[in-house]
Amino acid sequence: MDVRIFQFNGCNKCFNETILLKGESKYNIEFIQDPQNWKEQKTDISIITGFLLSKNKETLNKIKANSERVIAYGNCATSGGIFALANQKGHDVSPLKNFIEDTININGCLGEIEELKFEIEDNELPKLQNLCIVCERRKTCDYLDELKRQIELEDNETCFNDLGYLCNGFVSKECKERCIDYNAPCRGCKPIIERSGIRMLGMFGTLMGNIEVATEHSEKGATDKLADEDDDITASLPDIVGNFFRFTLPTSGLPKGRIPSNGNLLEDVFTGRLIEELPLISGLLGGDHSISLTLKIIETYEEANNIKVSEKTKNYRNQLLKLENALQKAIQSKDPEQYKKITEEIRKIAGNMNLSNLSYGGFRSQIDENDDFEEYKAHPFEVIEGTYKNGSIEFTIDPIGIVKKIKIKEGYV
Amino acid sequence: MSECEYIEPEVLEKMENIVVFMCNECGQGSANTAGVARMAYNPAIRIVRVQCTGQVGPIQIMDALDNGADAVACVGCCLGACHFFNGNILSMHRIKLMKKLFKELGYSDQFVNQYTSRAAEGETAVGDFEDIVERLATAIREEGTFKDGC
Repeated sequence: MDVRIFQFNGCNKCFNETILLKGESKYNIEFIQDPQNWKEQKTDISIITGFLLSKNKETLNKIKANSERVIAYGNCATSGGIFALANQKGHDVSPLKNFIEDTININGCLGEIEELKFEIEDNELPKLQNLCIVCERRKTCDYLDELKRQIELEDNETCFNDLGYLCNGFVSKECKERCIDYNAPCRGCKPIIERSGIRMLGMFGTLMGNIEVATEHSEKGATDKLADEDDDITASLPDIVGNFFRFTLPTSGLPKGRIPSNGNLLEDVFTGRLIEELPLISGLLGGDHSISLTLKIIETYEEANNIKVSEKTKNYRNQLLKLENALQKAIQSKDPEQYKKITEEIRKIAGNMNLSNLSYGGFRSQIDENDDFEEYKAHPFEVIEGTYKNGSIEFTIDPIGIVKKIKIKEGYV
Repeated sequence: MSECEYIEPEVLEKMENIVVFMCNECGQGSANTAGVARMAYNPAIRIVRVQCTGQVGPIQIMDALDNGADAVACVGCCLGACHFFNGNILSMHRIKLMKKLFKELGYSDQFVNQYTSRAAEGETAVGDFEDIVERLATAIREEGTFKDGC
């Protein structure tokens, strides 16, 4: 069976994952990193990875005309993905279904290779349950008194939402990455329903029932109305777009953003996000540079604010950096066995390929059973306004912790 | 009731549909009272009767806006007087979040609003309608309509 895998824009995490298909001898696989200059050839299956812009339309039509089936693999191709957050600033990141009809979608950041194999062989996908059903935490569904922004690793038994963290598990399917196992609330990369972000927003509005909402007297109606001023509700959720529409902004039904852009798509993804979200976003940007980028962001902030890091943490971080180098080599040689071995080791330390376990000051969950977790446990940190600069990265945060400006000098995209 | 602010005809032209979800108790009650008293209001207002404003969430609001509404508002019972315990307050929470979301996307936060009214006083409903129209007019003058951005 001829399988051609196309990498469009953005991180190449999903594209790299398809190296694992190479181990299966029944496929005749070709990797195409430069789809613009692809010489047209008839093919059975085309797999699209990476995010898509309107300039890619012609290439996509060519691919569609030459293939029997087109599969969108990973969130960037299916719903815009993390890069679509730049649409808030007027960019035009679009899902594959906006360009060509009859596509097969495999959601997830990272997309699951097992699901891809099912689709290639035209088998029916196994039915996946809602994440909350498989989650071990118990829910109470009481109204919340306050929302918390930074994870405190005290309670392992209560539902994240009931503790006041924004967990998108309600609208997501169970998945392989399982951020919830590493004390990172679900980010909703595998939505189980359409327009998941809007639904989650409605649910959270209700859940915030005990937080006071500001009202004012309406002159004309002579009764009370909802006030326009900022109140506890808006203060508890400083970044709604980044929290609820992280992967689905173009398919959410919301209009295109009118916020002025800096020009650079990657920097627009980061601008407006919260400081505690930064490592989680850079971790999602995957590919072969995400570990060094994430650690750079974390270390820059730690150094400037004197957040102490234990030797054990440094040790694990160095191991991760070494694994990143090895991963780059495995990707270059397109060696499936090596790739599998290294990603398994990364998963052991960083939790998953989205690096959910990494945080400021340490790690979110225990890495090795023989370790003393207290040694490298991440603690809540203070949000300090200022400009942070360290070599290739520079970012400015405001007093609430929103990133106002960011510059990433190396070519990550 | 205070005097109506002057709205230019070209701005009024841009307001074709303003969807107002009114609760079956105080909201619809006050609209009925206004009707009995033959009070006039802007013809762009389209009333949708719901059991309680607590039924209306971001999904319904976005459905209305995506299908051609220029603005959406909810009119519920007065604070503390919800006939279903606290539906009006919960709806306010959600609409507040919608307002914040619109601001984050660079739109005016006046495309969604929530009001309260009293069933016995028709002028509260008509006053709310006037307020909706006035705020929408300001938003259109400053930043254009919601449809302009789509």
